[in-house]
Amino acid sequence: MNLLTFVGMITIPLISSPFVYLSGRLGAQDAVLKQRSYLVRSLALLAIAAAWIPFVMALQTFLAGGVQEYILESIWLRVDGISLLVAGAVLTLGTLVVLFSGPYMAGEVGEEKYYAMLLAMIGLMIGLSCAADLFNLWVWFEAMAVSSYLLVAFYREQAASLEAGMKYLVQSAVGSVLVLAGIAIVLSNAGALDLLEVREAVSRSDVSRWTWLSAGALFIIGFGVKVAFVPLHTWLPDAHSQAPSGISAMLSGVVIEVGLIAMLRALSVLAGFGESWGMLFLIFGALNMLYGNLMALRQTVLKRLLAFSSLSHVGYILTGLGIALAFDSTLGAQGAFFHLITHMLMKGLAFLAVGALMYALFLQKDIHQPLRLADLSGVAQKYPLPALALSIALLGLGGLPPLAGFMSKWQIFVAGFATGNAWVLALMIFMALNSVLSLAYYAPVVNAMYRQSPSPAVTAGLAIGMVLQIPLVAMMLATLLLGFFPQWLEWLTLPAATSLMDIFGR
Amino acid sequence: MAGILTLLVIGIPWLGAVLVLLVGDKHPRWQHALAVGFSLLSGIDALLLMRFISSASSVDLWLSTAFGSLTLIPDGLAVSLTAIATVVGSLAVLFSVDYMRGEKQLGRYYFLVLFFIGAMAGLVLSGNLLFTFFFWEITALCSYGLISFHNDDPLAVRGGIKALLITQVGGVGLLAGALMGYSQLGSFQIIELLARANTLPAPTLAFIAFAFLIAAAAKSAQFPFHTWLPDAMEAPTPISALIHAATMVNAGIYLLARCSPAFESVPYWRESVLAVGMISALLTAFMALTATDLKRALAYSTVSQLGYMVYAIGAGGIVASQFHLLSHAVFKALLFLSAGAVIHAVGTRDMRRMGALGNTMPFVRNAFIVGALALTGLPIFNGFWSKEYILEVGLESSPLWMYLLMLLAAGLTAFYTFRMTWLVFFGSVRDSLHVHETGTAMKIALGLLAFGTFTTWLLFGGLSAQLAESLPQHGLHTESTWHLVEALLSAPSTWVALLVVAASLMLFYIVGRRAALTAPPAWFNALSESSFGFELLNRWVVSGMISLAERLRLTQSGELNWNILGILACLLTVLAVLWWSAS
Repeated sequence: MNLLTFVGMITIPLISSPFVYLSGRLGAQDAVLKQRSYLVRSLALLAIAAAWIPFVMALQTFLAGGVQEYILESIWLRVDGISLLVAGAVLTLGTLVVLFSGPYMAGEVGEEKYYAMLLAMIGLMIGLSCAADLFNLWVWFEAMAVSSYLLVAFYREQAASLEAGMKYLVQSAVGSVLVLAGIAIVLSNAGALDLLEVREAVSRSDVSRWTWLSAGALFIIGFGVKVAFVPLHTWLPDAHSQAPSGISAMLSGVVIEVGLIAMLRALSVLAGFGESWGMLFLIFGALNMLYGNLMALRQTVLKRLLAFSSLSHVGYILTGLGIALAFDSTLGAQGAFFHLITHMLMKGLAFLAVGALMYALFLQKDIHQPLRLADLSGVAQKYPLPALALSIALLGLGGLPPLAGFMSKWQIFVAGFATGNAWVLALMIFMALNSVLSLAYYAPVVNAMYRQSPSPAVTAGLAIGMVLQIPLVAMMLATLLLGFFPQWLEWLTLPAATSLMDIFGR
Repeated sequence: MAGILTLLVIGIPWLGAVLVLLVGDKHPRWQHALAVGFSLLSGIDALLLMRFISSASSVDLWLSTAFGSLTLIPDGLAVSLTAIATVVGSLAVLFSVDYMRGEKQLGRYYFLVLFFIGAMAGLVLSGNLLFTFFFWEITALCSYGLISFHNDDPLAVRGGIKALLITQVGGVGLLAGALMGYSQLGSFQIIELLARANTLPAPTLAFIAFAFLIAAAAKSAQFPFHTWLPDAMEAPTPISALIHAATMVNAGIYLLARCSPAFESVPYWRESVLAVGMISALLTAFMALTATDLKRALAYSTVSQLGYMVYAIGAGGIVASQFHLLSHAVFKALLFLSAGAVIHAVGTRDMRRMGALGNTMPFVRNAFIVGALALTGLPIFNGFWSKEYILEVGLESSPLWMYLLMLLAAGLTAFYTFRMTWLVFFGSVRDSLHVHETGTAMKIALGLLAFGTFTTWLLFGGLSAQLAESLPQHGLHTESTWHLVEALLSAPSTWVALLVVAASLMLFYIVGRRAALTAPPAWFNALSESSFGFELLNRWVVSGMISLAERLRLTQSGELNWNILGILACLLTVLAVLWWSAS
């Protein structure tokens, strides 16, 4: 296969990252600040736009010829349905976030670093989704994590943001150590690193099953920190709420989900214990749903509320995957991947809409303070589009039709009921009730925005430009259309689900 | 043709909804005009659809395994409900032209109303349970948005969210039932469920039957979910008339009527349906006796009348329930809209402050009286025929004690209806209220509904023929209007019921008029205001959730050491679980 076609979607963002950084630094002495900012932004946008070309080509090649492999020295890459789903999600959200960040980050100190790290993170996430061996999986994962630490702590003058970055760094490091320990166990017992080879070796080996189970447990907990399994999630509310809004969108929308993909790849070498992993996923899924929803119930800071809601949505995705692994249900995997995409759209939209409002009410006036529920009063009259966008995002996250979140949750429900297992049935009803519970904190936000009496912050708010609102419109339309035409994404979710079943040898 | 009409009856109001939003709040005249125009069009469309009634699907669109195929079936049940939704809908929109004049954010109001009308049509037309659920939840979304339309009022917000959450909890029942059916039958089509119900294992069928009963009870505000409807009265009054009296609350009745042939064999299902209907009818009739808020009194009476319909389905009277549904939709919309005109005119909902308004608003008084007589069940109004029909069916096929309690409820209905009418329009002036003029659009809507209250019972023969012909699985047979009239007039149960009503009116004449203004005993008030304790139950659930959430916040300590300890503890737990399950 042509080298450029699929390696390009990884290398283009990665290689352009330093150039974007340099373009912002080199002209520092003479160029006017504003022009420099435009240069950085347009380069970043150009780079991510260029990455779409190899993505589309790789997609065509995959749809025509199945799984593609590429080996360069010690870097083994394999593109399957999962990689393409992840790449598609990352590129979609990445493009919109770069566009959104243009006005949002304009004039911030270190703007060029922001774009450089964002591009690097995008490239690394796509790379991670293609990793074909355990060692590279870990390297991609760590590199991605490093770029995300810096982005979380981007507002380095803010104590809260530094604290968030610190917690994120330390807890992730603990997770990484555990993953590494897991890899060491697997390597020393299986003598191979390629995911497929290891799977073979594990299934044939006569090593005690407890060894493999321990390695799997290490993978689940290690990656689980990054995916924010409850109770490993404690870094997430801080990190997701303190990061710049575009990064919050990336973190909630794709980064934690990519961690889940890494976990699945690592666990696939222990496919023989798929049922155990599936059961654990179901347990963690239930925990995440309930805990995330209950914690979000009492939040008044919008971004924290959204961060906790991400926990519960990870729970829904985990439930779908758990059904897939424990009951060999392709439909469950498809539902989980569909929800991954719709959650990316809706949560991304929610964070960007909150970001747009923060930009209007605070950031343009150089005020760094969280957006609270009370500030939202009457926001819809002055900023109708961001208010509508946030309403659609929240109601969609709450699973109301005709929005995308309804359809993806439905698909998981269908898979759950199709198993016919009484416990899973109970879990499905629990999940549905959780979805209802989540409306108890989404709905008041919507109500607050459509009040008539504006809050002082809204009265004093400034206008927001067009560019900031384009990504909102795009994601709003996508959320609506997928609610009416859920089958439109089947060409992406079905191959991903099939690939998942394949790597688990089902 | 039928396919186009069925799609249009959903599409027209939805298109109107989008247009109203796009026109923007700066052009209220256009918004009023568009809303009236598009709702009238959908009404005409629904009436045209009457000519294409059949049991075959008019739209059939394959989506995928997880979603099945989208089918729309214009059978008698669906089309009659669609007609009610769109026709009453357009009258409510017409009424809104006067009622909502000068309100801000009209775009949001009309968007939600039109979106609702389309969704209601979709809900009853859909032959696929996924899309029944889809539209079901959209109606809940619109209802929530409209109840809390006045977002600055915390009561309105609370009422809206309460309605949303309670109906959604019920919605879980519909979801679980539909998916349980799918897991066994491999299809979401209602027809399949009805046709192959007897092939399902008994526990599965029972699960579906009771799950649907929960969904229906929550949607139609039946016992034990009856608490949300009174609080939903914070909505603008045309919404109370349309959504919370004439259409959305009927969705539960619809679901039971649609699926009842499949569930008839389930042990205790019919008994449960009977009981739910009976308890709802009786409890809320008691609550209406002492209510002082005009709209809440009407809301209680709505729950009570919906209870009659549920009871009818439990007794096997599908046609009777649909007949009463039609009558009720018309006369209750009339009552609500008249009440709306009164509230709009005097600016309060407290009946104790009203009184003798009949002198200043004769038109509204007459309209309200027509509605009240129909609700009471006096001949020859539509409510008389349908209620008597239900009671007759009940006498034949429900336990006698249940029938007697339903009779009691009919007596209570007469009492509270007259009390309400008397408090608002008669007696003496109790408060110097400034009365505004009733608008022309309001009068047109009221006039048409009053005309309907006199006449819709004549449609019985047509309704029964439509239902019988297009619902082969329900085993109904056609009955003409004349036959019904004959049967009812010669049935002793009719005369017994009329006697009860008359006795109740006598009682009202002797003691009620004087007692109407004196406060009822404290215990009774407490009992009825807490919805016989169920309001407390709601509050316990809410406060329990909140205190649990508050306590859980301790776990988010922000201490890095504890967080790391948490990670390691979780690792040990997972290892322990894995080893335990492996050994």
